[in-house]
Amino acid sequence: MIKILIVDDEPFARDEMSELLAGEPDLEVIGKAGNGIEAIAAINRLRPDVVFLDIQMPQISGLQLLKMLDPERMPYIVFVTAFDEFAVQAFEEHAFDYLLKPLEPSRLAKTLARLRRVRKPQSIEVLTDNAPLAQLPCYGHNRVYLLKTETIQFALSRISGIYLVDADGKEHFTELTLKTLEDKTQLLRCHRQYLVNPAQIAEIRFSNQGSVEIVCHGDRIVPVSRRFVRAVKDALAII
Amino acid sequence: MQNAFIAQTTLILLLLQQMCVYLVIAYLLSKTPLFIPLMQVTIRLPHKLACYLIFSIFCVLGTYFGLHVDGSIANTRAIGAVLGGLLGGPSVGLAVGLTGGLHRFSLGGPTAVACMISTVVEGLLGGLTHRYLIQRGRVDVLFRPAVAGGVALVAEIMQMLIILAVARPFAMALQLVEHIALPMMITNSVGSAMFIRILLDRRAMLEKYSTAFSSQALKIAARAEGALRDGFNQANSTKVARILYEETGVGAVAITDCDKLLAFIGTGDDHHLPGTPITSSYTFEAIACNEVIFADGNAVPYSCSIHSHCPLGSTLVIPLRGEDNQVIGTIKLYEPKRKLFSRLNRTLGEGIAQLLSRQILAGRIDAQKQLLAQSEIKLLHAQVNPHFLFNVLNTLSAIIRRDPDHARQLVQYLSTFFRKNLKRPGDVVTLADELEHVDAYLQIEQARFADRLNVDIDLPEHFLSTQLPAFSLQPIVENAIKHGTSQILGPGRIHISAHNIDGDLALVVEDNAGLYEHSKPSNGGLGMSLVGRRITARYGAGYGLSVACEPEQATRVILRVPLASAENLETRH
Repeated sequence: MIKILIVDDEPFARDEMSELLAGEPDLEVIGKAGNGIEAIAAINRLRPDVVFLDIQMPQISGLQLLKMLDPERMPYIVFVTAFDEFAVQAFEEHAFDYLLKPLEPSRLAKTLARLRRVRKPQSIEVLTDNAPLAQLPCYGHNRVYLLKTETIQFALSRISGIYLVDADGKEHFTELTLKTLEDKTQLLRCHRQYLVNPAQIAEIRFSNQGSVEIVCHGDRIVPVSRRFVRAVKDALAII
Repeated sequence: MQNAFIAQTTLILLLLQQMCVYLVIAYLLSKTPLFIPLMQVTIRLPHKLACYLIFSIFCVLGTYFGLHVDGSIANTRAIGAVLGGLLGGPSVGLAVGLTGGLHRFSLGGPTAVACMISTVVEGLLGGLTHRYLIQRGRVDVLFRPAVAGGVALVAEIMQMLIILAVARPFAMALQLVEHIALPMMITNSVGSAMFIRILLDRRAMLEKYSTAFSSQALKIAARAEGALRDGFNQANSTKVARILYEETGVGAVAITDCDKLLAFIGTGDDHHLPGTPITSSYTFEAIACNEVIFADGNAVPYSCSIHSHCPLGSTLVIPLRGEDNQVIGTIKLYEPKRKLFSRLNRTLGEGIAQLLSRQILAGRIDAQKQLLAQSEIKLLHAQVNPHFLFNVLNTLSAIIRRDPDHARQLVQYLSTFFRKNLKRPGDVVTLADELEHVDAYLQIEQARFADRLNVDIDLPEHFLSTQLPAFSLQPIVENAIKHGTSQILGPGRIHISAHNIDGDLALVVEDNAGLYEHSKPSNGGLGMSLVGRRITARYGAGYGLSVACEPEQATRVILRVPLASAENLETRH
């Protein structure tokens, strides 16, 4: 069974896609998302094999969304776009799968055929720039919002998920993985469960026992595990 | 005693006669450009040189025209020396005095030395008077005939004293002075004064001539301003021809393009009919050679090419030039057979042709600019956002499956939207019309975004008949969705309302995105700014678009157009 997630900000567009996929016995639409932030949560939670991804969406476009995904767990992406000259050109040159709206069943059939043959993730580098993520999607009680990366002091992983801690000590839940944050932002790995923002470090304490901890502004302490001491020192140019 | 008096009087008369010849020469010379440097005080070297040359000639002439008395010469040499100094300054005065004096010395006689010295002194006296008056800032006094006469009188008195002092034997000198003192004082004073008078007259005439010329030229320029700007055609040409006819006073004025007569005003308009093809060979020549052709009726014969009894006897044909100096027509001035063609009108004619050529050119550039703006708007019309179009078609394809009736309705909206989009940009429509366009567009967008887009339109009935340019409101609403509500995660809200502000209609489109600053001007900006520019161009600076943005909260675009009286329009229907 191939698990599919549909991401589009227009409800009828989502419907159209799922209608077209409905006749396929070996496919299952396991979820739909109306924007990029919902999509990240859904991808992390539902682990789809394939994502049909609209490009033009509010706040986080389809291309930005790709950058926020954990490269280790990258599903197969099929772009769906109404009109995007740049993207279409990039797809054509690099053989990404893409579909044009309005959707054409015969063209979709080809895509599905290819999906059944090879289902390995594509390299997305050519589609995305190398600039770090400037804002990160977070989830409140009943809303989603974007937090500026520079305001974050550190990120930590708990059983319940990944949390970003801002300069006021407030915690924000995010669907991004530590790996994505480490790769796509300036946050620095200092512990298996912690990333720290070097710009927010006030002090580094070395104890007699040889343990190291980072003190951020506001006296919030981030542990540094032994195996990351070297990396932290290098990154901060401490000898 | 009696004899002495008669001799004295005779000498005065003779000397005055000589002075008259002298002044006639001066008068004739004053007609030449030679005299122009003399008419004002300058410090430029070429003018000083001219001053020196002319007055040296007069100085020498004065000696030649003199009368031989007792082996000496009664003369009007002092006029040249005094005026040279008076008009040219001390250096010129000195130089003229030296030249005249040396010349006199070369002629010899008992008073040769005395006369040479006195001529130099006369030149200096004139020069010093010049310097004195210039330093006092009394240039006007320099050109007073009485002043020149006075200076000449003083100069002559000094000459007599010098003769008495220098010439020997004294008895002879005294006798000579008795003879010539009065005649020379009178003639030189009168001569100097009259010389200045000639200069003044000449100057006045020149000024009058150029004032008349420039005021006429300015008047024509002012009246003809802009006449040909909105097109080089029969109606505008007739206006211009009439202005030229009235202002220049020539017999007739004609304007042609390259093949036909556009306008003809004045004598002979019974057979020179606008709209008929050009027949005159001079006009063809002027067009072909791009040259001014002047047929004065004497050296270059002129006869009307249409009618043998035409009273016009001379013509001036001036080409009108457009882009790259290409001939685009001609202006023709005519005088009847009984009148001469004045040079003034000729110069004026050429100037006017240049003025009108510029106007035609400026008009064409204007027209091109307008065309460009029009095509820009056309482009905007044609440019239905492809993203919008393909998404709509995709939505439609989904709706067809689930709700064919809704789909059919949507197709209707889509065709209304496209039909309205095809309206010509110059069209003026009512707000109701424009609202239909907006409504069709919003129906489609609402189908696309469903509960993510809420629209709320609040337009009082009585505004609906207000006129505004087609394609004004829709681009603003489209912008509010494309760069506003469709870019936020939460539900979008568009509020469209109308208000009467100081007698104008203010249409307000507000969204809850507040992303105006962030939207790239290359996307929404072009359409919006075109809408604004078009309204401002049509109704004036007080009208157009204004945008207020509270970041992340709201963007408010206000479109302001004059509020045509709705009641009037309604009663007309």
